[in-house]
Amino acid sequence: MPKLRHIAIAAEDPEAMAEFYKKAFDFVEVGRPNGVLADGVFLSDGTLNMAILKFKTDQLGKGMDFRGIHHFGILVEDVEEFTKRLDSLGAEHYIDQGHGGNQAGYFEKKFYGPERVLFDIAEHGWAGSEPLPIPVKQAAE
Amino acid sequence: MAKLRHLAIACKDPDAMAEFYIKAFDFKNVRTSDGPLAYGHHLSDGTIDLAILRFKTDQIGKGMEYTGLHHFGVLVEDIDEAATKVGAHGGKHYMDQEDQHRVGGFEVKMYGPEGILFDIAEHPWTGSEPLPVPEKAKEAAE
Repeated sequence: MPKLRHIAIAAEDPEAMAEFYKKAFDFVEVGRPNGVLADGVFLSDGTLNMAILKFKTDQLGKGMDFRGIHHFGILVEDVEEFTKRLDSLGAEHYIDQGHGGNQAGYFEKKFYGPERVLFDIAEHGWAGSEPLPIPVKQAAE
Repeated sequence: MAKLRHLAIACKDPDAMAEFYIKAFDFKNVRTSDGPLAYGHHLSDGTIDLAILRFKTDQIGKGMEYTGLHHFGVLVEDIDEAATKVGAHGGKHYMDQEDQHRVGGFEVKMYGPEGILFDIAEHPWTGSEPLPVPEKAKEAAE
C-alpha cells in the first residue's frame, strides 16, 4: 500500500520553525532544499519527511501570504501506474518536479485532488523518510 | 522519538474526498466520526491516520470556508512532558480534546510558530502505528 511520507508547511521563517520542531519533538534535520519552488529545511521523525518551506510561487491559489500546512506526499511503488489511476479519478496534474534537477534520483509529480488539495506522489523517498515496506511475499523469499 | 501519525484535511465534502483517497491509494476507512469539532472519515495507510473532516468551528483562524490541510498530530511517549516542552519553546496551548472513540481518548491541541496547529497524544490515532519499542526495552524483554 502507498504510504504518506511527506508533509510540507508553508512558513515565513523556515529556520525558526524548524528549530521549534527540533527542540519540541527531537526531529532531526536531514536537508536544506533550495529549489525553484521553495527554500527551507527538511526534518525527519525517522518515518516521515517534514518540509518547512518558504514557497516562491502560489501553488495553492491562496496567495503568497498563506501560512500553514501546504501539501503532503505519498510514496508509491510505480509513479506511472498511480498517475493513470489519479487521472481516471479526476485528479488534475499540476507539475513534475526534480527530473534532472539538483536532487539526484528524486522525482515527484504534483496533483490536485478533490477541493484542490495538493499532494505529491514519488517512487523515491523524501529525505529522511522510511522506504515502502517490502511486500510479504518478497520478504519471505 | 516522537512520531508524526495524524494529518487532518478540512473539506466541504468528506464523503467524496475519502472515497477519492481510498480509490487512489487503497487507504482503508477505519472510522467515521461526528463530534463537536468535526464530521468526517479517518483513513489509514497502516502508519498514519488521515482525517478528512468538515470542521464545525474555525480552529485555525482562516474562516469556515477554508479548505486544505488543517493540522497534524504527533504521537509522544508522555503527553504532559511533551506539552510542557512545547510550551517552553513558545508553543501555545489551544485546547484539550476528549474523544470517546479513540483509545485513551485524549489529545492536546497546540499552536506552534506562525499559528500552525498540531495535536499531541500518547495513544495512537485510529489505524495509526504505535511508537516503536525503544531498543533498551526490547533488549530487556529478550
